[in-house]
Amino acid sequence: MKYFQRFLLPAVVAVASLQLAAAADLKIIANPGVTAASVSSDELKAVFLATKTSLGDGHVEPVLAKGGAAHEAFLKAYIGKTEAALETYYRSLVFTGKGSMPKAFASDAEVAAYVAKTKGAVGYVSAGASPAGVKTLEVK
Amino acid sequence: LQVRTIVLGAALSAAPGLLYGQFDFHVAGRDVQVHSFASQGFAYSNQNNFLTMKTSDGAGFTDYGVNVSTQLTDKLRVGAQTYGRSMGRLGAWMPSVDWAQADYRFKDWFGIRAGKVKSTLGLYNDTQDMGFLHTWALLPQSAYPADFRSDYIAHEGADIYGNIPVKKAGSFAYVLWGGRRPNDPNGGMKLALQDNAGGKIIMKELKHAVVEGADLRWSTPVSGLLVGASLIATTFEVDGPYTLQPSGITADLSLDVKKSHTQAYYAQYSHGKLRLDAEYRRTWAIRQADITGPVTGTQFITQDARYGYVSAAYRVSKLLEVGAYHSRFYPNWPVARATDNGHVFDNAVTARFDLRNYLDLKLEGHFMDGYGGVASLPRAFYPSDNPQGMKPTTNMFVVRLEYHM
Repeated sequence: MKYFQRFLLPAVVAVASLQLAAAADLKIIANPGVTAASVSSDELKAVFLATKTSLGDGHVEPVLAKGGAAHEAFLKAYIGKTEAALETYYRSLVFTGKGSMPKAFASDAEVAAYVAKTKGAVGYVSAGASPAGVKTLEVK
Repeated sequence: LQVRTIVLGAALSAAPGLLYGQFDFHVAGRDVQVHSFASQGFAYSNQNNFLTMKTSDGAGFTDYGVNVSTQLTDKLRVGAQTYGRSMGRLGAWMPSVDWAQADYRFKDWFGIRAGKVKSTLGLYNDTQDMGFLHTWALLPQSAYPADFRSDYIAHEGADIYGNIPVKKAGSFAYVLWGGRRPNDPNGGMKLALQDNAGGKIIMKELKHAVVEGADLRWSTPVSGLLVGASLIATTFEVDGPYTLQPSGITADLSLDVKKSHTQAYYAQYSHGKLRLDAEYRRTWAIRQADITGPVTGTQFITQDARYGYVSAAYRVSKLLEVGAYHSRFYPNWPVARATDNGHVFDNAVTARFDLRNYLDLKLEGHFMDGYGGVASLPRAFYPSDNPQGMKPTTNMFVVRLEYHM
């Protein structure tokens, strides 16, 4: 018990704090046609791992950033995989016929522009970004 | 072969950066994606020849694949992939349909795939051909034997699959599948039957080949921890002439595999840059051999193979990943497993260099003990590739350059 209090508990709290901090750096955005107003962190992870293809009553499509601070924060806060591991995961879907490679864009503006024009698209941008034509999903 | 190897290697190395990313186009407003991969390997061993290659002299091996797929509707996805390889006496460069399927996902917890579908078994069965997805130049051969890949890689039939989240208990993914087991005229089973120590069997026909399986994997609430179990059951019949050794008398053989069950249990733990894998498998098989002709008789053969591996991989930097595994294969657990013919142990160490997003290079050392299976059904070590007789240990160095887009 002492071991837990002295070492494990602070470690767990530290990891959780880092994840919360990473999540605070982000804004989860969706096409206005997505009916859901909020999403749980487990649902968000499932959407980006292609095991969940709908939110509310509509089909959804994950949209990624190609590197950058928002991308790293998103992986840390919600996916729990390194960038290399996530790429490997997507490729394993593509080369076994179980999924497509998601669209990926180089900047917040490009991510937001694609999400705004694509039915069911869900993406993420930096917390400071103010993209037009998209809705922000609350993460519960 | 050497010229072809060098040319392909040079082409892969020179792949221009503009090939990074998939090639896609639109048909009737739908995004069609095209992806491909190719690899060139080279293996050099100090003792026994391995995987039908003349590795003691240094041998090259190559594979390649290309796929096309599209999401036709929100629920319906179609696609196909071809695959070909040349690895010693395996593959013969012949391209074949690796998978070709239609996939309809009614709900996230219930979907159906049909066609030629990759079979789910353990952690990596369905991705074992795509070396660029793995740390290793050669996956642990106990669980993923390159010579027998086509016996387990896919089935012509259907899958039922789904993902079921269970709130705080994580989520479960299941697959139930079944269909016809494809026949590979350039695969390892044909060679293993030919190299059978008890007699040479020429496989003329594979009949009644049926395979069915199930997989259940649990993404646990512990971050990065996955555990699962798979089961495969298969039956088939092989017909052909059988030359008894050492008499040389040839008779007709009907080899009926009445039951072959494989159970697989596996776990994977990922934390940051570290990944740990472990798999354990057991295969029970009962075969009935009916011989007719100059000699007649019926023989029942049982097999209880046990095998698996543990591995660790660590990504040191964006450029470099290092790893090691220990793999064990016992072709027939109850029989003489301490002998060289009763086991294969393989300790492997790897460095993987990700030179570009689309190109990686692997350097791998193998330190193997035993050549298990030669007396019954050879695997990896074939007597006809080692006419000088088997040596108890084999060290091997493998280099593999892999490209994908």
